[in-house]
Formats: sequence, C-alpha cells, structure tokens
Amino acid sequence: MNKQQQQQHERSMSRVEKGLARRYRQERNFKRLGLGAILMGLLFVSFLFISIFANGYTAFQQTFVKLDVFYDPEVIAPVGETDPDVLSAGHYGGLVKATMRELFPSVTNRRDKKKLYGLISTGAAFQIRERVMQDPSVIGQRESIWVPADDDVDMLIKGHIDLSLPESDRRIKDDQLSWIQGMQEDGRVEKRFNTTFFAAGDSREPELSGIKGAAVGSFFTLLICLAISFPVGVAAAVYLEEVAPKNRWTDLIEVNINNLAAVPSIVFGLLGLAVFINFFGLPRSVPLVGGLVLALMTLPTIIIASRVALKSVPPSIREAALGVGASPMQTITHHVLPLALPGMLTGTIIGMAQALGETAPLLMIGMVAFIVDIPGGAMDPSAVLPVQIYLWADSPERAFVERTSAAIMVLLVFLISMNLLAVWLRKKFERRW
Amino acid sequence: MDEVINRSSTIARELKTGSGAEVGMQVLKESQSSGTVGDIYVDDPRMTCRNVNVYYGDKQAIFDIDLDIAKHQVISMIGPSGCGKSTFLRCLNRMNDTIDICKVTGQIKMEGQDIYDGGLDVVPLRASVGMVFQKPNPFPKSIYDNIGYGPRIHGLNDNKDHLDEIVETSLKKAGLWEEVKDRLDHPGTGLSGGQQQRLCIARAIAVSPEVILMDEPCSALDPIATAKIEELIDELRENYTIAIVTHAMQQAARVSQRTAYFHLGKLIEVGETDQIFTAPRHRLTEDYITGRFG
Ligand SMILES: Nc1ncnc2c1ncn2[C@@H]1O[C@H](COP(=O)(O)OP(=O)(O)O)[C@@H](O)[C@H]1O
Ligand SMILES: [Mg+2]
Repeated sequence: MNKQQQQQHERSMSRVEKGLARRYRQERNFKRLGLGAILMGLLFVSFLFISIFANGYTAFQQTFVKLDVFYDPEVIAPVGETDPDVLSAGHYGGLVKATMRELFPSVTNRRDKKKLYGLISTGAAFQIRERVMQDPSVIGQRESIWVPADDDVDMLIKGHIDLSLPESDRRIKDDQLSWIQGMQEDGRVEKRFNTTFFAAGDSREPELSGIKGAAVGSFFTLLICLAISFPVGVAAAVYLEEVAPKNRWTDLIEVNINNLAAVPSIVFGLLGLAVFINFFGLPRSVPLVGGLVLALMTLPTIIIASRVALKSVPPSIREAALGVGASPMQTITHHVLPLALPGMLTGTIIGMAQALGETAPLLMIGMVAFIVDIPGGAMDPSAVLPVQIYLWADSPERAFVERTSAAIMVLLVFLISMNLLAVWLRKKFERRW
Repeated sequence: MDEVINRSSTIARELKTGSGAEVGMQVLKESQSSGTVGDIYVDDPRMTCRNVNVYYGDKQAIFDIDLDIAKHQVISMIGPSGCGKSTFLRCLNRMNDTIDICKVTGQIKMEGQDIYDGGLDVVPLRASVGMVFQKPNPFPKSIYDNIGYGPRIHGLNDNKDHLDEIVETSLKKAGLWEEVKDRLDHPGTGLSGGQQQRLCIARAIAVSPEVILMDEPCSALDPIATAKIEELIDELRENYTIAIVTHAMQQAARVSQRTAYFHLGKLIEVGETDQIFTAPRHRLTEDYITGRFG
C-alpha cells in the first residue's frame, strides 16, 4: 500500500465515521419520534378515559330520601281492596306531598309547599304505587321507604351546585337548602347505588332515566345487523375469492366494495330512509330498519376482512384437498372456510363494534326519538346507545351531564369487550401449522 | 437454430454408437412425434399422453409431449428448474384446472379413457391419480382425520370400523403406523417434516389410487427422512404406478425404473433409468446429468 493509497483510505474512513455518528443520531431521533407519538396517543386516550370517568362515575349513585308514608285508605282505596284497577287509580302523588307536609309542618305558604314537594322525584309516587299494588295489605299502615330525590337535590348532595352563587341563579333555593339540611340531620338522606340507571328507559327526569332502553335497542339493532351482514358478507367474500372468474366485472365489483367501505355513514342513513322507510314502508325508529342500515354499512368491512382471511389460507391446503379428490365446494366448506373463520369473525366483530358506535345513519331513520319504553322486539320504536348519549348530551339539566358520561362508559365497556373478544378469538384459533 | 444443431449432433452421435436399425427407428419416431429421443412407448401403459401442450396465458410451458407411463413402475422426471416438470405432472390429474390461465391441449388417456374429455369428472380422476406435493401439506386436523378425509368424501368406508381399518392400512403402507399409532388424534401438523410427508403419502393411498404423482416430495426433507421416503417409494411400486418429479438426479437413479428428461418444456429423452444415467443419447441429457448445467 503506497502512501497515497494510505491517505485515501484514512480520509474515507474518517468520513465514514463522521457519517456513522449522524446515522446513529438519525436512528435515535427516529426512535424518539415514534415513542413520542405513542406517548401522545396514550396521553390523549388516558385523558379521555379520565375525564369521562371523572364526569360520569357519580351517575352510578343516586340520592334517596327516607319518607314515612302513611298509606292513607282515603287517598288510595278502602282497606281490603285488591282490584288492581282501583289500586292503580289512587292519588299517590298526594301521599308523597302529605308525607312531606308532615315532615315540615311549618311550611304553609302555597309557593313554599311547591318548593318543598320539588325535593322529591316524581318517581316516588310510582314507587309507592308499585309497593301498594304488590302488597295491598299495607293500606292503612305507616311505613318508611326510600324514594329517589329530585335531580337538583341529587346534584346538591354530589356537590355539583355552586352555593356561592346568588340564590336567584341557583336551582336550589335557600329554604330548600335548610330543609335538605334538616333531613340530612335526621339521617333521611342517603346516596345509594343507582339501579334505575341500569333498569329504566329514557325519561325527562334525570333521576328516572336509564340506559336499559337504549342498550336493548342497540342489542336488537346489532342482532339484525349481524344476522344480515355476516352471512351475506361471508357468502360474497367466498364467491368473489373462490368462485368468481377474475375478469373486468369482478374487478369492478371489488373496486366498488372498497369504495363503499369509504362512503360516509350518513349516506347509508339516507339510503335507508329512502329505501326501507319510504319505499318499503317500514316504520321509523325501529331496530329492524336500524339494523338493515348498519348492515349495509358494515357489509364492505366484513367482505374485505373475509377476503383477506380467505386469501391467507395457504394454497397448499387447497391443493391437498383437491388432490385427494374433494370438489371445489368441499374444499371450501371443509378446509378453507374453517381456517378463514377466525379472521372473518374478527373482522365481523370489529364491524359490529363500529356499528354499535354509529350515530349519524340512525338519526336519518328517526332513531333519535324520545322513547321511554324498553323495546320488546325489533319492531318496537327504540333508541340506541350512541343516540342516547347524543340526546342526553343535548339536555340542559346538570344531572344529564353525568349520565352522558356514564352512558359513554357503558358504551366503551361494550366496545372494549367486543374488541377483546375479537383478540381472544384470533389468539384462540390462530393457525397452527 | 440451437435446436437444430443439437438434434443433428445427437443423430450424428447415434450414428457412431448405435446400430443402423436402431437409428433408423429413432429417426422414424422423431419424424412422427415431437422429437423425443428414446422409447416413449411401453407395452402395458397405465397412462398415455399424446401431443400434450400446456399454456399459461399466452406463454407456452409444455411443447408436444408424447409419453407412456407404465404400470407398476416408477418414472422420474428430471430437468433444470422451470423446464415444466411440475406442469406436466399436474396435467396427469388435472391439477392445472385450478389455475385459471392454464390451458392444456392434446390427449391424456388413462386405461383408454381420455381424462380431459368434457364428460369426465375430475373428482374420481383425482381419487385414482393421487398427488403428493413438494411441501408436506397435511390438513391442520388430526392424523386420523387427515387419512380418513379422502375415504369419507368418496364414501369408500362402510362404517367407522372400516374407516379405522383404512386408516391403519394406509399408515402401514406409508410406513408411519408404528410411529403414530398411539397418537392418531394428535394434529398431523405436529409431526416432523418427513413424517408429515409420509402422512401425505398415506392420505393419497387411503383413497386407493392407481397412480401416485409426487412433485419433488423430498426437497424439503433432511437426508434421513429422504431415505425413508425413497425406500417407501420402492415398496409402493408393487401396488401403484408412480410418477415422481425430482431435481436430485441420484434420487431419480435410486428410485425409478424409467427416466424422462425435460428441457425448456420439451421432453428431450426418455428411457430406462440405467441407460439414461450411463449412456444418455441426447447431448442435452448428457450435459445435464454430467452436471454441465441444471
Ligand atoms: N401458475 C403459473 N402461472 C404462469 N406461469 C407458470 C405457472 N406455473 C409455472 N409457470 C411457468 O411454466 C414453466 C414451467 O414451470 P414448472 O412446471 O413449475 O417447472 P419445474 O417444475 O420444472 O421447475 C416456467 O417457466 C414457469 O414460469
Ligand atoms: Mg416444480
């Protein structure tokens, strides 16, 4: 090696080393960027969860007030009456009022009385009626029962009312405050687990409203959606992937399916409105139509996922089956489908999770109506979870704010468990060959 | 151009080595068929192929092949990779039907029946012409179900006991019974590579085929497993006709009685294995087996 070569070599080595440092630096920066992105994502997600939880967890409790109710035969029905028609016609609201008057005999003014009655939820009267209808022998007796407090009282107890505001700006007035304090000192006020929230449908009164109607509505809607989109989606995928010749028509169909997957969901709502409601004359606001619309929306997702699952079945398995003389149909049903099924199911569950959270297309077909009853079938008008959240988020009462967050929590629990199910299915049936 | 030179050089060499009558025969045969050197005919063929051409779309992969496949014999097909061995083999049980762009012309007969006849169903054909693939491909099911699947779909078994019997004899014939008899319910995919390949052979045997096609059955296996399969092939010859594609010439020499040499989609030479390996008649064959290319 002569001197010149030596120098040349050294020069290039020093260049390489300088470059090396830069390369390492770039690599480190790249790693940092990636890590930063993930941390950012985690931060947002945890912020979301924390804020929802912080806003919503109080909704799982509800303030109750203990009343010593006298089941007055004069107000309800004579002692010994068992006819449900007569019993249900009783003036139970009056009983609650009477009890409250008894509790605070000093209140005489008409306006004050109204404020006093306002402390107790209108649901109390229904609760007392239930009690009497269940056991008519209580008529004529006195009994202590816990009834839900009005949502304003509930908010006060939960500390959501700013007492530093002037009285006129508050939903709880000063004298109401003193009455509540009096009841609290008597041990008549208590926060309890809010079963109503999980057992009731929607209501104008926050303390009487619950998520069950929407949850059941969502259930029926998803059931219809699944029953239609899964078989149709799988059949379409199998046809396109395994049976159809590869030509311009199937290419066109494939492009269209991919496009459909990208169509904004509200368009499917409009389509559903035009086709199912206006043309076929199906009723509005029912899970049947909701399910049909969501099925249209999830079909492309399921078809695409199923085709990927079918594609990932190794050709050697098909060859093996064909090689022993299985017909193409047998090859598909005996070998390819079972191996592709976990992938298809995962895709379907993710599609269902999407459908569960979908709001816009359901607004178009009238599922935004205020519905109190819990639907008993796919043809009963009903709400769904995301629409319920939308409705509550739109309500002015403070108590609906926490219920909105609680409903989001319920929705998230459903979504997360569906996704976990998908992960579990994938893990369980992961190909072992 | 190359072709012509090759051809003439072959003939020239034959003139030097062979007897006059033989050369005359040879020239005659060349003039009526595709130019294959050696005897494409056998006395008692199981399958006969005439004028077979295969196209993948516009591209022709197999040119004018005439070949008889004799009963109870192993015929091996050798040649450089991409020369169309697999393509030709897959014509014999119409596996090429599964490739959309693949088109086969010519005539392939089995026991006098044209297997490409429109009226013939491929299902019974594939049952009587079984296939073993390059990569062992057991179903991701139990060993028992791997073997039992074929008989079941063809309705070969009368009852469960009969199926048990088929499974047992197939595994015995494939020399796998002793190794797996205690774990028939274990997944076939859990076996070693060599065992998996023997399982695939057993699966092919289970539907009682007449011909078994093997496409490089040992290329994914270690030498010991390969030796076992080769031994097995030799045993199977008694009951089955076997066509095996291999890229290992020693393997062809060990297991087969007849050898066909393919080159660029043409069948160059076919003959007794001994003759092909000791006295190849075509220069391309000679170049290949002496390792000048391949
Ligand atoms: N599925 C296919 N589509 C298109 N061309 C193919 C296909 N399979 C094989 N070929 C072509 O046919 C020729 C022969 O292939 P093949 O029969 O696999 O060769 P070998 O088995 O001898 O290595 C090759 O040129 C290959 O590129
Ligand atoms: Mg090959």
